[in-house]
Amino acid sequence: MSNHAAAGAIDHHHDHTTATGIPNKKLFMWAFLASDCMFFGALISMHLIYRLHETPNAPDVLSIFSLELTSFSTFILLMSSLLMALAVNTCQKGHVGATRKMLIGTIIFGLIFLACQVYEFKHFVQLGLTLNSSMFGSTFYTLTGTHGVHVAIGVLWLVLMYIRTFKPADGSPWILKAFIHLLVFAVVTVASIKAILGAVHAIQEHGATAQMISTFVQHDLLAIIATAVGMAGLVFLARESKAVEFGEANAVDVESMGLYWHFVDIVWIVIFTVVYLLEYL
Amino acid sequence: MSATTHSSVDASGHGQHESSKFHIFVQLAMILAVITGVEIVLIYIPLAKWLIVTSLITLSLVKFMLVIFIFMHLKWDKLFCTILFFIGLVLAGGTVAALLALFIVKDSKPLTSEDAAAIDYVVRSV
Repeated sequence: MSNHAAAGAIDHHHDHTTATGIPNKKLFMWAFLASDCMFFGALISMHLIYRLHETPNAPDVLSIFSLELTSFSTFILLMSSLLMALAVNTCQKGHVGATRKMLIGTIIFGLIFLACQVYEFKHFVQLGLTLNSSMFGSTFYTLTGTHGVHVAIGVLWLVLMYIRTFKPADGSPWILKAFIHLLVFAVVTVASIKAILGAVHAIQEHGATAQMISTFVQHDLLAIIATAVGMAGLVFLARESKAVEFGEANAVDVESMGLYWHFVDIVWIVIFTVVYLLEYL
Repeated sequence: MSATTHSSVDASGHGQHESSKFHIFVQLAMILAVITGVEIVLIYIPLAKWLIVTSLITLSLVKFMLVIFIFMHLKWDKLFCTILFFIGLVLAGGTVAALLALFIVKDSKPLTSEDAAAIDYVVRSV
């Protein structure tokens, strides 16, 4: 499976070849995250300062917020952090198969979070909370939207890392296959989010009835087919054929990506309290 | 000989350490989920607002620290990583505190027409 068979021989927390004793990739990521803290600090302050500004005809925030949905997406993001931590752990042990499973799990949870956010934004806009309807709307969408972009970048990075785990050890060309893999992922992502949102919309409109299923199938047939075909494509592309150039030595790459993903999680921990929970007091 | 023994002890210790991490991560995820549940329940409890706000901030801080020290491995990494990240964190916290102190909601609210007329009157009289 991996050409790095000597599991347990690498010290994953220290690198004696660098001046600091820390792997350069990890050091870079910590420095980047420190700067990103300041970025989100500014956005959070902006929201806290302007959230109480009264704007004429602005919708009542409490009546449009859905604590159930936000709590669910918070739980999903926390669990994705667990899967990411396990992905790093399995990669450090050289278990490529387990790393792939954990990465896929993290990707799915990240996509569920993004789907929740898309649904939430769409719902809020329908109820009148837009980017320019009130000061609260402007700062809310800027802050949560920036966080959502960070999650989307994280998901893209996870997908690229997942595809990277298939790089053949014999040096045979794989770029075209990797590109097709990425393309299939993109199709599955877009189609599945569209299908899930379509299903939610149909349930809201008709309840859990046979009519709901027929409406859902009529409106989102293309998305359902694209999701199914894409899933089959992913299973086909993920079949193991030869040895891969991915293992314990790549743990620092997975760990750097994990640091970014956990950072996205801790930012959401703050946003959940500051933006959502404080509104209920 | 002694070097070989030392190396094998290290490798076995490292293996145990990595294996125990799995349980730590799973337990931490459960703790984080429970804390989130407590936060949600807390906003419905009829207590003083300052007490709820303080509790929510404390619980968020606990979650934040647990994630950075355990999920992000700061506990096991070199101290320099912690220092580097906390430089950014302290600067961000300072920025938030300074901005909130400078532009509190009451002061940064847009002026009403009455306020503007009052200011205009004061300026003209000076």
